Amino acid sequence: MSTEWYLVLSALLFSTGAVGVLIRRSPLVILLCLELMLNSSNLALLAFSRAHGNADGQVFALVVMVVAACEVVVGLGLIVAMYRRNLPLDVDEARVLRK
Amino acid sequence: MTVDFNAPDIDYAAISPQIALMAGICAVLLVSVLGKATNRNLVTSTSLLGLGSALGLMIWQSDRNTDLVAGALRLDGLAASAAIICIGVAIYAALLGVGEPAFFENGQSRHGEFNALLLTSVLGMVQLASAQNLVALFIALELLSIPLYVMSGFARGRRESLESGLKYLIVGSLGSATVLYGSAFIYGGSGSTDFGAIAAALGDGGLASDPLIGIGIALLTVGLAFKVSIAPFHQWTPDVYQGAPTTVTGFMAVATKVAAFAVFVRLFEVALGPAASNWQPALAALAALSILVGNLGALGQSSLKRLLGWSGVAQGGYMLVGLLVASEVGVNALIFYLAGYALMNLAAFSVIAIRERESNLGDSLSAVEGLGGERPALAWALTISMLALAGLPGTVGFFGKLYLIEAAVDGEYTWLGIVIVIGSMISLGYYLRVIAAIWMRSAPDPASLATSALGPIDGGSPEGEREASGSRLLIVPLALVAAAAVFFGILPDPLVDFAKDAGRDLIATVK
Amino acid sequence: MLNSLLWTPLLAGLIGLALPKRWVGTWSVAAAATTLGLAIGLLLDGSYGSDALNYVVDESWIPDLGVRYSLGVDGLSIGLVVLTAAIWLATVTWSALHPPRGGDDAPASARNPALYFAMLGIGETATLGAFLAQDLLLFVAFFDLMLIPFYFLVGIWGQGERRAATIKMIIYTLVGSLLMLVGAIATAVMAADGGTVSFAIADLREHLLGESSQKWIFALFALAFLVKMPAVLVHGWMPDAYRSCPLPVLALLSGVLSKVAAYGFLRWAFSLFPDAAIDFQLVIMLIALGSIIYGSAMAFTQTNVRLIAGFSSVAQMGFITLGIFSMRIDGIDGAVLQMINHGIVAAAAFFVIAALYARFGTEDLTEMGGMASKAPFFAVAFMIITLATLAMPGSANFIGEFYILSGAFQSKLAIAVIASGGVALAAFYALRMYQRSIHNRLPEGATSRELDLREAAVIVPLVLLIIGCGLVPNKILARTEAGSSASVSALVSQCREHGAAPTECAAEYGLLGPTNREGGFEPSESDGGAGNPTE
Repeated sequence: MSTEWYLVLSALLFSTGAVGVLIRRSPLVILLCLELMLNSSNLALLAFSRAHGNADGQVFALVVMVVAACEVVVGLGLIVAMYRRNLPLDVDEARVLRK
Repeated sequence: MTVDFNAPDIDYAAISPQIALMAGICAVLLVSVLGKATNRNLVTSTSLLGLGSALGLMIWQSDRNTDLVAGALRLDGLAASAAIICIGVAIYAALLGVGEPAFFENGQSRHGEFNALLLTSVLGMVQLASAQNLVALFIALELLSIPLYVMSGFARGRRESLESGLKYLIVGSLGSATVLYGSAFIYGGSGSTDFGAIAAALGDGGLASDPLIGIGIALLTVGLAFKVSIAPFHQWTPDVYQGAPTTVTGFMAVATKVAAFAVFVRLFEVALGPAASNWQPALAALAALSILVGNLGALGQSSLKRLLGWSGVAQGGYMLVGLLVASEVGVNALIFYLAGYALMNLAAFSVIAIRERESNLGDSLSAVEGLGGERPALAWALTISMLALAGLPGTVGFFGKLYLIEAAVDGEYTWLGIVIVIGSMISLGYYLRVIAAIWMRSAPDPASLATSALGPIDGGSPEGEREASGSRLLIVPLALVAAAAVFFGILPDPLVDFAKDAGRDLIATVK
Repeated sequence: MLNSLLWTPLLAGLIGLALPKRWVGTWSVAAAATTLGLAIGLLLDGSYGSDALNYVVDESWIPDLGVRYSLGVDGLSIGLVVLTAAIWLATVTWSALHPPRGGDDAPASARNPALYFAMLGIGETATLGAFLAQDLLLFVAFFDLMLIPFYFLVGIWGQGERRAATIKMIIYTLVGSLLMLVGAIATAVMAADGGTVSFAIADLREHLLGESSQKWIFALFALAFLVKMPAVLVHGWMPDAYRSCPLPVLALLSGVLSKVAAYGFLRWAFSLFPDAAIDFQLVIMLIALGSIIYGSAMAFTQTNVRLIAGFSSVAQMGFITLGIFSMRIDGIDGAVLQMINHGIVAAAAFFVIAALYARFGTEDLTEMGGMASKAPFFAVAFMIITLATLAMPGSANFIGEFYILSGAFQSKLAIAVIASGGVALAAFYALRMYQRSIHNRLPEGATSRELDLREAAVIVPLVLLIIGCGLVPNKILARTEAGSSASVSALVSQCREHGAAPTECAAEYGLLGPTNREGGFEPSESDGGAGNPTE
């Protein structure tokens, strides 16, 4: 099977994630979309790894999973902190800093 | 049956700064848990000890030029000089953090957490500056960024801080994901994650114009541009700078740029060097755009932190010029500029931090009005910093710009030299406004200056006490960085020598 | 020697910051007097008969960038160095005797005289540095640095819309000088052509750039210099800055700083970009002519005495530029002499304005008058300054303008004819200012008061200096001549390198103009006798 199909799928996933980050308003959904972007990269890495026949890409993908988990933890932590202060969980409302 | 294997040869001396930082992180966490939670001085001292030994070890190892950890990292002039600047900035931030009001919650000191995060982030920076493998690059980038997201949102009591943390997290992760996706394509095109092997594939393998590589370069450029806040990927910068606690902003503004630019240079000049003609025009356009957008955006800002955020966008554009000419003098100019940038920004952020703690005007421009008559020491430090950022002679900023323009002209990008100068002219519009506020206006109504730095120390209020000692402690390092900004503006040679190793080693790797 | 001359003012200014307030004035006067003493020492001790540099200091500074710390003084600069030190002494003395207070809304920092004198010290060092520098980058750095203290001086101690005026001033002038920085770097990097970059003037002159590069770089340099002068079209910062600037500081701005620009053309633009200078000759001469006409006309219509003096300065700088770009030895000699004359006269005029302001409480000419009734010495001093401004025969200004016009007549007849009209205009505005303030009836509320000692201490020496220059202008010329002929010879030799016959050069650019003074320009042996010395 050709690598291209995997790449097309990963590109679709990456774009979906990127668009989601840019247009969705809930921070939780944005975190999901970020995960989508990271995982699309993983897919691409794995596909390339098979294509080149070396394991570098697979190791890379494993590392990415760990890092993604860290990122989510911090993101959720911040969201919880905002929720506790009864701040609106909506990035469009988060505009105290805008002038 | 025994299985023999070759244990990787680890050069412990060369990674000793990183080990020192790791030890520092553990020590800080232990001290903050075991010691009295409120004892911020003990925690800060521990943290300074860790940073100081890392700095010492880094200086000791700074002449090395070698691959580390099976080629994942490389210790050379570029890595060493970037690491030295980052660790130095972290030391400054640790001192600045002692009196940071955001690091107290309900009377409890949270300096343990702050210092541990600070050291983690510095560890990421040191690794990032020496990364020469896409995997190492990504890990180091995240190790640097994730603590920064937390630190930006550190003042849980303040809505701005939380918002800033969340915003930084979203934008930062977007950048990281883009870098990652770009790395995947580079790996896909070249079959390797190692910079040297990528360069070989691009150069000898003739893959420089391969579409996969092209997409990878584009994505990496965008991702790293997010990290160093190059226009048009800069929108988060002013918001995050303003919302984060000033100590964190100061650290983030300087150290992140240093480390990210170090890896930017290494990635583009070592790994992607053979494709230079593909990315040079794109980076030149980004640099010019960033210089103009940053400088125009800063005009009319009344929050000093936002102003420095926008100015950081412009300064990022200047630095990109040193990168994109892809020459030894360019790298030297970049490192020189980063070192100078660290000095001038630290001076500015510490004055802002001190005024924030003394008055209740926050980081607005009016907080520094009339400073020249009231607090000459602070006034001079901020004035020097602004003059240096504007690149006027007698300050390190002048030679920084000179170096960059020389690199630009040398690399046949004379028009970018002119863009740098046009940017500097626009920038005078806002830097001079700050200087005018300091010297040429009278101080605002004394009623709005809630507490004085020299107020009663044993007055009983813990708040007054911590603010007083914090500000006093800061005058010495502040005077040092401001004096250094002037000293290197008159005798830049030591700093030039410092920067020179970076370019020499890097270009040697390329050849 | 040059090091101590250059750094004394700066160091003294910084030390002054640490002194008790009441000693600062005396300390600063002493420092400025020391500087003047050193400058006069250079004048008497050095030999200025040839174009060789005296007291050369040449140290490695930033080898990796090709920048050297290289100073020297020759006939072209010595007069300006002494002028700088003298006018600075006058300003410092005036300020020590009349402590600066700033305008009505002066900020708290205006109450710190040490800061004021420190800024003056930095300014003097930067200005002297610009005259002494023999390294292009060092010159540009000093040229830019010169501005910073004036930003503070105008912004803190100025009056009226001081903040707006000062930002306008600094942006205008820095636009020019920052572009000049790019030009300077481009010159050095392109001249090195892949080799070691060097900014030293000697190295740069050995590797002149191609004509097209010279052209755009010369344009950047010319813009910086014309803004600084200021010349017409780029003088927009001048009226506001002159309105706000404290008067003693204005004496420096108008008397000394503008000369750095004119000097820049002679020292740097001519020797590094000779082809471009020749190409741009007509353009710049037209701008100079515009400055003369516009400056004179504006000076005649203004009622604010500062602006009268300011626009007269524009006109005078126009004359000087005209002389320089006549590219004749006569014109350049006259321009150098006139730089010194105008420096003294302009500074003296601003001190007189300060004295007038102290008596009338206004700077509006229509509200002045009758000062002569009880102040004869004041009237005489002012008369001498006025006569020098309008270049009365007998004053050194007359000789300067004569040579300038003589040079202009040799090179561009039509421009010279119109410019001569400017001399007549000068008589109108200078005399108008004198008459309106000194003659007529004394307005109500004003008192006619003789110069007091504190004012006389500054004005009288300047007036004596004006008379002195009028008596011995040839002494000045004898020293500056070799320098100016070196400037011209750079142009001539360049013309020759482009393959034109010497006589063609002479014919086309009129470069080998006759000279009738001893020690003047003599064409080198290979010229085949173009340009016979007449008389």
